Amino acid sequence: MPGFLSESREGRCRSRAARAPSLPGGRAPCCRAAAEVGERALSASGRAAMASGCPPPFGDPGEMREGFLCPLCLKDLQSFYQLQSHYEEEHSSEDRDVKGQLKNLVQKAKRAKKKLLKREGDDRADSGSQERYESFSYGGVDPYMWEPQEVGAMRSHLSDFKKHRAARIDHYVVEVNKLIIRLEKLTSFDRANTESAKIRAIEKSVVPWVSDQDVPFCPDCGNKFSIRNRRHHCRLCGSIMCKKCMELVSLPLASKLTSASKEALGSHTSPNSSPNSVHGSRRGSISSISSVSSVLDEKDDDRIRCCRHCKDTLLKREQQIDEKEYTPEIVKLYEKLRLCMEKVDQKAPEYIRMAESLNAGETTYNLEHANDLRVEIQKVYEFIDALSKKILSLGLHEDPQPHPKTLQLQRMIRYSATLFVQEKLLGLMSLPTKDQYEELKKRRLHMVALETHGKQEEKQKDFISRSAAAVNGDAIHLKKGTVRKSEGWLPTSSISRESEIADPLLQQIDNITSFIKQAKAANRIDEVHMLQENLRQLQDEYDQQQTLKAIELSKKQAEEEEMQREELQVLREKEWEREHHKFMSRHSRTCSLDFREVKQHQHEVAKENRNLTAQALDLDITQIKRDPSFETPAVEQLPAKEHLTFTLKPQNVPQCDKDQTACLNPFEDEADTPQLEEDPANPFAKDTSPMVSFSNTALQSNKKAYNPFENEEEEEQSNGAPGSTSNPFEEDENPFQKPAGSWNSGNPFEEGSSTNPFEVEDGNDISGEEAIEEELLLQQIDNIKAYIFDAKHSGRMDEVEVLTENLKELKRTLAKQKEKSSC
Amino acid sequence: MNAVLAVKQYVSKMIEDSGPGMKVLLMDRETENVEFLIQELRRPKYSIYFIYFSNVISKSDVKSLAEADEQEVVAEVQEFYGDYIAVNPHVFSLNLLGCCQGRSWDPAQLSRTTQGLTALLLSLKKCPMIRYQLSSESAKRLAECVKQVITKEYELFDFRRTEVPPLLLILDRSDDAITPLLNQWTYQAMVHELLGINNNRIDLSRVPGISKDLREVVLSAENDEFYANNMYLNFAEIGSNIKNLMEDFQRRKPKEQQKLESIADMKAFVENYPQFKKMSGTVSKHVTVVGELSRLVGERNLLEVSEVEQELACQNDHSSALQNVRRLLQNPKVTEFDAARLVMLYALHYERHSSNSLPGLMTDLKNRGVSEKYRKLVSAVVEYGGKRVRGSDLFSPKDAVAITKQFLKGLKGVENVYTQHQPLLQETLDQLIKGKLKDSQYPYLGPNTLRDRPQDIIVFIIGGATYEEALTVYNLNRTNPGVRIILGGTTIHNTKSFLEEVTASGFRGRSTESSQVMPRSSSRR
Repeated sequence: MPGFLSESREGRCRSRAARAPSLPGGRAPCCRAAAEVGERALSASGRAAMASGCPPPFGDPGEMREGFLCPLCLKDLQSFYQLQSHYEEEHSSEDRDVKGQLKNLVQKAKRAKKKLLKREGDDRADSGSQERYESFSYGGVDPYMWEPQEVGAMRSHLSDFKKHRAARIDHYVVEVNKLIIRLEKLTSFDRANTESAKIRAIEKSVVPWVSDQDVPFCPDCGNKFSIRNRRHHCRLCGSIMCKKCMELVSLPLASKLTSASKEALGSHTSPNSSPNSVHGSRRGSISSISSVSSVLDEKDDDRIRCCRHCKDTLLKREQQIDEKEYTPEIVKLYEKLRLCMEKVDQKAPEYIRMAESLNAGETTYNLEHANDLRVEIQKVYEFIDALSKKILSLGLHEDPQPHPKTLQLQRMIRYSATLFVQEKLLGLMSLPTKDQYEELKKRRLHMVALETHGKQEEKQKDFISRSAAAVNGDAIHLKKGTVRKSEGWLPTSSISRESEIADPLLQQIDNITSFIKQAKAANRIDEVHMLQENLRQLQDEYDQQQTLKAIELSKKQAEEEEMQREELQVLREKEWEREHHKFMSRHSRTCSLDFREVKQHQHEVAKENRNLTAQALDLDITQIKRDPSFETPAVEQLPAKEHLTFTLKPQNVPQCDKDQTACLNPFEDEADTPQLEEDPANPFAKDTSPMVSFSNTALQSNKKAYNPFENEEEEEQSNGAPGSTSNPFEEDENPFQKPAGSWNSGNPFEEGSSTNPFEVEDGNDISGEEAIEEELLLQQIDNIKAYIFDAKHSGRMDEVEVLTENLKELKRTLAKQKEKSSC
Repeated sequence: MNAVLAVKQYVSKMIEDSGPGMKVLLMDRETENVEFLIQELRRPKYSIYFIYFSNVISKSDVKSLAEADEQEVVAEVQEFYGDYIAVNPHVFSLNLLGCCQGRSWDPAQLSRTTQGLTALLLSLKKCPMIRYQLSSESAKRLAECVKQVITKEYELFDFRRTEVPPLLLILDRSDDAITPLLNQWTYQAMVHELLGINNNRIDLSRVPGISKDLREVVLSAENDEFYANNMYLNFAEIGSNIKNLMEDFQRRKPKEQQKLESIADMKAFVENYPQFKKMSGTVSKHVTVVGELSRLVGERNLLEVSEVEQELACQNDHSSALQNVRRLLQNPKVTEFDAARLVMLYALHYERHSSNSLPGLMTDLKNRGVSEKYRKLVSAVVEYGGKRVRGSDLFSPKDAVAITKQFLKGLKGVENVYTQHQPLLQETLDQLIKGKLKDSQYPYLGPNTLRDRPQDIIVFIIGGATYEEALTVYNLNRTNPGVRIILGGTTIHNTKSFLEEVTASGFRGRSTESSQVMPRSSSRR
């Protein structure tokens, strides 16, 4: 059956293509389009997709073929029926093959060949499209197969409609506005406390009144005006009518219309009650018929007379205002419902995360806090339930029952709300009780202690590489730091959840760690082992990836640094010339910064070289890491691991600080990156630059020459530098710094001693910072120790020597600094 | 030239225009509706309205609508000309019963018919030349009205000119009263004749022992493959096809229930299930319908009746025909409806025959207890479609070619005795396609005449077309390359509705008994 169907479909497209030329101007674009449509339809029918939908493979892109073409061999058959029989005879066996994607290609090639051969015949057929009909043997077409036709005629009245509507609305709006402006004028003064004559004068000034003589009969009802049947003027348009035809606008309505604000709503009488007021006034006027003074008679404190026409317009306007402000009850409730649902959507994942972590015995989240959240969410659910119930029962108790469709809508809302609650509520896992939680925590700690030996090293690596991966994830980084501190352990699961997106490998690792956790909880040791083995492999894999990435990043970083330095130098030279003679008190921080900068310029070349070597080293290390035989025995790894953990700990602190203090610096991320990479992947890569600076630092007794800060401030500096061209403040901000820098750089060695008054000042000023710097120095020392170990491990003895030299220097610096801070 | 497609395209265009949501309003262009719409727009219930009229609306209506739309909720006002019922791609209907009073139009129906016909022309983008049947006054009126609309809305009818302009041929049912009186044997026509198709639905509630969900079934060639493939086949073929369908169905059924062991089996089952389910629906539907048809055929002795009907319609042997009619009138299985139908056919054919024995047959009918309603209808039908009103000769071909043809046919013998009748339309269209249709009988409206053979032909039959004619047109379409014919009628008739039409048109017939006012034919649907 499907074969037949698609067959007939082709037939149809084909017949259309064939017919097109017979129309007058047959080669006009329309027939092109027809052929194209046909082809598109063909490609829809799958098998024939390659028939003519794709351009001829032998490079004749413009060719468009018409007629009853066989989709496979592109033979032109004179009629649909011939095509059909041809297809059945020739291609029925191929039919199945064609389904295979692979075979398509083969056939395409085949067809191309065939097509080349068939070319001549086609041309002939094309030219003779007119005679084709005569040659039909039995060529009528089933009406079902008539070619697709264009959409029938249609005519739009929209422009006409809009024209009329616009005219109407313009007219209406003008009229309404006019009336409302007049109404405003009429109500702008205190009617109650104004004399009637004065009111009248004002009223007359708003709109000219039609003179009495001109209107002998009431234009509405046709009654003759007399003493008894007095004339009344519309205050809004000035026209005249009799008492009966007169309408009144109450003041609240007027104020509502003029202000069109909500506050008028409360005091205003609804349109239903306004007929009553009119009625009342009419009755009142009957009693005063005998009154001679029409002025007295017309004195209405709180109403304005108007004609029916004006009143209608005003009422319509009022209705519009009402409608604009009116939102049906169901809409209000539904909006609330949606709000609640959104809240749940926000909170639920957070809660689930908390609950998972707590159930696992982790200390990341607070149990009470989680409980609060749970209660909160449950409250929202209750609210949703209540709201949907309210919607369901809307209008049920009213006398005329709402439309069945309305009720259906309400039911559906309720239904969807119930579904929502059910679905989400099921997802809310329960929290452990306090005792349970304690139990969980203990168990976890225990397990951790058991497993730390085997795992820590892997995790360490994992953590490091991960932190390297989280290039932009400052927040994550922060968290990791704190978590580590508080637990003294690496909670992979809670962290990696944050960085889930980072890498599928990470996810996998995460999964496995959680599996391990579960397995541990269930005390299935062998499973745990298996899983850990898996984990290790995964982490190795991941580490390799990260190393590669880190290498790339570090390269990039080096390039960037270089460029920045160049910029800086140019800028500094200018600056120096300009500010050379100025003397100013210096800011300690910037001062020290300048020292470093000068240094850096001096050692730029050296650094560059170092960078290169560092990269080379990098590669060495990664090669080693990639080496499958790198699986070193645990005994050997252990000290290394200890080193690493040790060094990492303090390092995180300054990083956090940086995040907090320098968060405005757009370059900060970049400043972080090298820092992060440096540790896990290529300890030597970055270390070189601090090393170099250290040697100088020692001479100049500059305690701040620590790599992370240096990087950061360097970035800061470069940030300020481009800004200096456009923003003078950026420049002026550090006026002290430059002269200070130049001052110092002028004679760096002379002032290298601790007797330097500036240095002392520095120390006093930044006593807060000093502590950190000491720490940093310590950390650096630790790092270098680790590097030395690593280098030893991989047998690069010359590096070890250099490193030990560095280490010594560092230690010396530290000692000096301590000395300084103590005195 | 595909009426169904044209309407479909309109609908999808509308849906496309208005985007998601229920906002489409398709309106007939009657004044009453415009009034309602104005009411609605003054107090709108929705924030946006797309208004589509199914035909031409007047500028003043647009204006009053625009003035009612003070809230500016209307986003679209368009005319989509879908003002007809597309039955098949080549058949359309206006669902109007009783369009004429006597020989002339009911004015309201005339304007409705004009609208429907012009809507069809517009939806197909055809601006045709018009020919009409000279013998029918109403055909001429309609032709003039259509022409008038085309002239008035010349902007709308300004389509790309084709080499050979399309042709609109307007005919009158009264010229061929025989066709709607015959029993049919092709699926679609038969279903309509025996069960009645009303907007693609058939009412099966009178079928004994029908299940609840089959009380009313939809027969639509658009969604029902079996129906689409079999609607033009005759009863015997359908029988065998439905057997195949059943077998196919049964072959599938146990197969799928048996092996649902592997996942792959289940997957295959799930994939095939909708198809299977659809098929089971189709099978049960068609089995029920065909079962009911064959029950009726047996119950009413329709095979025999139809044989005589065909003899009456196609042959000229008076004595044998009379004999057969008489024989069947005695047969108790033949219903009064079929008996009356036979007499009507006899009366139409041998109206002026020298030995016409109609009064005798009428007496037979009376004796048989056939109700007066049907007896009166005999004369009414003769009045409606008798020789006096016929422009062409239904029964005795005049020209030599036709005579030889019939002679040859007689020699060859008939293939199928039940389907030997060819409606008059067949001959008319055949001549038209060959360019031989006489201008004297079917004149052009206006001075222009068609020199070439027509390619796109729209035939409209005032008083209703039949499915037999639809089949004829279908076959003509298939056999004549380059020719596309669309058939339309004020309605699609079966015998019953045709008799209603005759009654509604005011041909009450001369009652032999009394002059009491006859009730309008009670519709026994």
